[in-house]
Amino acid sequence: MSEVRQPQRRTVLQRLAVVLLGLVLVASAGAQRTLTVAQTVDIPGFDPHNHGLTAVEAVITNVFDYLLFRDANGDIQPALATGYEQVDDLTWRFTLREDVVWHDGEPFTAEDVKFSLERVARDESLFEHDSFQQIAEVEIVNDHEVLIHTSGPDPVLLNRVSRKGADIVPAHVIEAVGWEGFSVNPVGTGPFRFVEWVRDDRVVLEAFPDHWRGAPVWDRLVFRAVPEDATRVGELLTGNVDIAVNYPSQDVDRTRAAGGVDVVSQPTTRIMMLLFNTADGKATADPRVREAVELAIDKDLLVEVVADGFGVPVEARVSPGVDMAPMKYYNRNAYDPERAVELLAEAGYGPGDLTIALQGPAGRYPGDADTLAVVQVMLNEVGVNTTLESLEWSAYNSRIWGADNVENIALIGLANSLFDGWFALRALPCDGSYAKRTNWCNPEFDQLLTDAEFNLDLDERARQIETAFDIVAQERPMIALFQIDALVGVSNDIEWQPRPDEMIWAFDIQPK
Amino acid sequence: MLAYLARRALQMLPILLGVVTIIFVLLRLSGDPVRLYLPEDASEQQVAQMRASLGLDRPIHVQYGIYIARLVKGDLGESIRYRNQDVADIVLERLPATLELAGASLLVAILISLPLGILAALNRNRLPDLLSSAVAMLGRAMPNFWVGIMLILFFGIRLEWFPVSGRSGVASLVLPAVTLGASMAALLMRLVRSGMLEVLSQDYVRTAKAKGLPWRTVVVKHGLRNALIAYVTVLGLEIAGLMAGAVITEQVFAWPGIGRLAIQAINSLDMAIVQAVVILASVVVMVANLAVDLTYALIDPRIRYA
Repeated sequence: MSEVRQPQRRTVLQRLAVVLLGLVLVASAGAQRTLTVAQTVDIPGFDPHNHGLTAVEAVITNVFDYLLFRDANGDIQPALATGYEQVDDLTWRFTLREDVVWHDGEPFTAEDVKFSLERVARDESLFEHDSFQQIAEVEIVNDHEVLIHTSGPDPVLLNRVSRKGADIVPAHVIEAVGWEGFSVNPVGTGPFRFVEWVRDDRVVLEAFPDHWRGAPVWDRLVFRAVPEDATRVGELLTGNVDIAVNYPSQDVDRTRAAGGVDVVSQPTTRIMMLLFNTADGKATADPRVREAVELAIDKDLLVEVVADGFGVPVEARVSPGVDMAPMKYYNRNAYDPERAVELLAEAGYGPGDLTIALQGPAGRYPGDADTLAVVQVMLNEVGVNTTLESLEWSAYNSRIWGADNVENIALIGLANSLFDGWFALRALPCDGSYAKRTNWCNPEFDQLLTDAEFNLDLDERARQIETAFDIVAQERPMIALFQIDALVGVSNDIEWQPRPDEMIWAFDIQPK
Repeated sequence: MLAYLARRALQMLPILLGVVTIIFVLLRLSGDPVRLYLPEDASEQQVAQMRASLGLDRPIHVQYGIYIARLVKGDLGESIRYRNQDVADIVLERLPATLELAGASLLVAILISLPLGILAALNRNRLPDLLSSAVAMLGRAMPNFWVGIMLILFFGIRLEWFPVSGRSGVASLVLPAVTLGASMAALLMRLVRSGMLEVLSQDYVRTAKAKGLPWRTVVVKHGLRNALIAYVTVLGLEIAGLMAGAVITEQVFAWPGIGRLAIQAINSLDMAIVQAVVILASVVVMVANLAVDLTYALIDPRIRYA
C-alpha cells in the first residue's frame, strides 16, 4: 500500500511545484500597463461620422486615423496621407502612407479613403455631413494616391480632413457587417484596437502592435463614464483613474493638496457669448445700448467669479489655434461702467428707465447660470433693470434658442471644431441660422463672408475675415465674454499636457 | 388560479397601450430633439434634413400610427443618439446591472428593517425601540445623493475599502446598495413594528404564551406574519420603483443601469429609448404587483384567487 502512495505524493508535490512556479513567472512577467480615463459621458457608438461631440471623438480618435493629424501644438502633420498638393482650384492630390494595416490585418488602401469621405460628404442623415458636403468626389489614382475634388474652391480642406468626422474607416468591414455591426465592433488603423464596450460603463481598448507609428506604450486604454463631478474627483484621488476630464474648479486646491495628482488647465475653443435681439422696438435695438451692455461687464471679474480664474476674457469669438481668428480681440476687457452709463443716457435711458431680459441655459456649460447671474448684477450696477430666466438646456433650446424666440439677450457657448475663423462667423449673415434671433442684417458683412468662403488666397482671406470680425465687434449682434479653460485632473504618474482640440490622444501620453 | 393569471396578463395589454400613448404624446409635446442633438450653430438645412430622416416632420397622428404598427411587430424604432443600434438591445443590456442593484438594495433593506422592526416591536417604548426608530428615521431623512457621496468619501476614498464607482464585481455593489437600501429600510421597519404590535397585544397571543408556546414561534408565526401583508405590498412597490431605475444613485456611482439611460434619453428627447424604457418599467410594475397579489395568498390563508 505504501509503495503505491509514495509515487502519488511525489506526483502531487511535483504538480504543486509546477503550479507555484507558473504563478511566480506570471506575477513577475510585468503587470499590464493600463491607462484609465474618466469622462462625463459615454460614447454613443463607434460611427465617427455620426456623433458630433468632442468628448466622444476624444475616445474614438485612438481607434481611427485621419489623412492629416494635428499635433499637440495644433500644427497639421502627415498621418494616413504622407503628402498633399493643391493641383488646381477644385482638386487636391493626397499621397497615402504605405504599409498601413487595419486592426484585422487587411491593408489600408485608397478605396477606404474614397469610401469614408464620400459617405460623410453625401449622406445627408449623418451628423457630420454639414462639414464635409464641400467634398464632391474622391478619385482613386492608384492604391496609394487619391484626388479630392471639391464642389467649390475650399480654403479649409486641410482643416476638414484633420478634424472629427474625417476618420477613415475600412470599406471591406462595413460592406461585410454594415454600420449596425461596425458601430458596436469597430476596426481602425489607430494605435489602439477595440476590446469591449459596456454602455454607460466603459470602453476598453488594447494596444495595436502593428500600428504605423509603432506600438503604443500602454497595453490597455480604458475610458470610463462617470457623470457625477464628486465621484470623478474621488476616482482620481484614489488612483483608480489616471485622467479625469471636466474637473470642477472648486476641487482644484483640495486635489493639488492631496498629493500624487495635479489639475492642469488648457484653453478650449469654446467661448461664452451673448446674442442680442436687435429688432426695432426691443430694448436692445439701439447699438449704443448694446455697447453699454458690453462695457458694463467686467470680464476679468466674471472669469474670476464663475470659473475661478480658469478662462480668458475676449471681445470676439477667437481663441489660440484657430486659423484667421484676429487675436487682437483675445485677452481683452473693455470694462468701463461710466462710459456705459453715458451711452445709455445718449440713447435716452436714465438709471432705471431700461429693462433688459436675460435668458440662458443652466447646466449645459460650466458656470452658465452663474454667468448670467453675474451679468445681471453688473447691468444693475449701471442702472439697467433686468429679468433673468435660466432654463434647463432642452427647455432653453426648444422655447428660446432653437425657437428663435430671444427677447433681448441670450447666453450661449460656441466652440470651433473646424479651427477656422470663417466658421466662427458663418451663422451671422442675413440668411444665416442666427438671423431670426439677432434680426441683424449687414450686406457688407455678408459680402465679405461670401468672398472669403471660397477664397484660396489665404492672405486676402485673412483680411476679409478680420474686417468681418471688426464689423461684428462694432455693431454687436453678439458679444463674446470669455474663453473657457478645460480643467483636467492628471495623475503624477503620467506625463501629459491636454491638447487644444480636447482629444485624449493616448499615444502621446507617457508613464513617468 | 390559471384563469386568474390569464386575466391579469390580458389586463396588462390595454394598460400598456395607454401608457405608451401618453408617453408618446408627452414626448412630442416636450420639444424638438433635433435641435437638442445638433450643435448650437447648426444650419437650418441641417435641422430640416435631420428632422426628415427621423420622420419627425410628419403629423403626430401619422407618427403615432407608424410607431404602433412597428411596435406590434416588435420594432421599437430608432434611437437618435445610438444610431444603427437596436433599441431593445440597448435597454435590455441594462437589465443585469439594474437587477443587481435592485436585488442588493432590497437585501440591505430587508436585513436592516426586519431585525430592527422586530426589536422595536418586542421592546416597545424602551431603549431599543427608540434607538431603532431613530436610526430608521435618519436613513429616511438623509437624501440619497448625500448619503452616496458621504459613503464614497469615507469608504471609497479615505479607507479605500470599496471601489468609488462603476460596476466591477460584488465589492462595487456594496456602497450603492447601502445608499438605496438605507432609505427603504426606514419605511419597512415601521411597517414591521406596527404590524407586529397590532397582533402582539391581542388576547390570543397572551393565551399562546400562557399555553407555553415558544416565544419565537409566537413572534414569527403570529406577529410577523400579520405584518407581512403590508410589508410585502410596500416591498413590491419599491421593487417596481427600483427596476424603473434608481436614477440618483446610479448617477452618483456611475452605475450602468436603466435609470441613467432613461435620464439621458429624456434630456435629449431620444424618444425611442424613453418609450422602450417606459414599456419595460410598466411591464415590471405590473408583474411586481401581480407577484405581490399572489404572495398574499401564501401569507394569508383567507385570501384565495379564483
